[in-house]
Amino acid sequence: MEIATEELPGGITRVILAGSLDIAGAAAIDLQMNVIAGAHNTVLVDLRQVSFIGSMGLSALVKPARAIKSRGGKMALFGPNQMVAQVLKTSAIDTVIPVYHDLETALAALQ
Amino acid sequence: MAMQTEYGRDPGHVIDRIVLRGALSETSHLSEWAQRLAARYCIDDELQFAIYLCLEEVVSNIIRHGYAPDHADPVTIEFSRPREGQLVFTIEDFAPPFNPLLAPEMPLIGAGGELPIGGRGIRLLRVFAHTLEHERTVAGNRLRIGFTDARAQVPQPQCASL
Repeated sequence: MEIATEELPGGITRVILAGSLDIAGAAAIDLQMNVIAGAHNTVLVDLRQVSFIGSMGLSALVKPARAIKSRGGKMALFGPNQMVAQVLKTSAIDTVIPVYHDLETALAALQ
Repeated sequence: MAMQTEYGRDPGHVIDRIVLRGALSETSHLSEWAQRLAARYCIDDELQFAIYLCLEEVVSNIIRHGYAPDHADPVTIEFSRPREGQLVFTIEDFAPPFNPLLAPEMPLIGAGGELPIGGRGIRLLRVFAHTLEHERTVAGNRLRIGFTDARAQVPQPQCASL
């Protein structure tokens, strides 16, 4: 599992995840996601290169989202593939953390 | 981790088996095993996703909630093909009785509109598995997770017959 960050205009931090967000993948990004959540108020998590997500992977997204939201910030998810999107929907994650399939719409929502 | 493969037997018999030690780190072997099966039987990406999701949820649930941290029993997963196009994974553990078909689901959204950190595995298993059967064994639980490959009628000459 790989993780990279990029600062975008408007104070948005884009977190790019790549690989499988299974148990090992979740463990690999957990600490870094929490550090990012502690330091940034507007975060877009780019899931386009995430091939798999399980419940532990979901937790690795929910924890930082809660931390950011508790400070009045925003976090959104962008570009999940069809199966990852189905997991997000089945888990109702998408009702609390917005999921976007279009980058411009995602960035506009976070502004 | 130990793996045992038995090729060339009738579809109803176990044709592959993996035994994991009861530690979360062992699930990386599960991923490799599921990928190998998918390649061997030409399982498409969506079905492979569902299979790995269900296996990971069940195995992690057994290890995290069924086994004591200092007493890790094995978890055995067997793969069989009872009928053409039907894929069955049988998971046996030595954990206290737990039937995921009867277990209550955790609320997806908390009372304050907050997302709980965990508690989604059972729901994912129920949604992504095509069939689920649970039975008690003398020592623990046996869970059968079934999947139907809709492409089974389409010849896949480069793969083992579905």
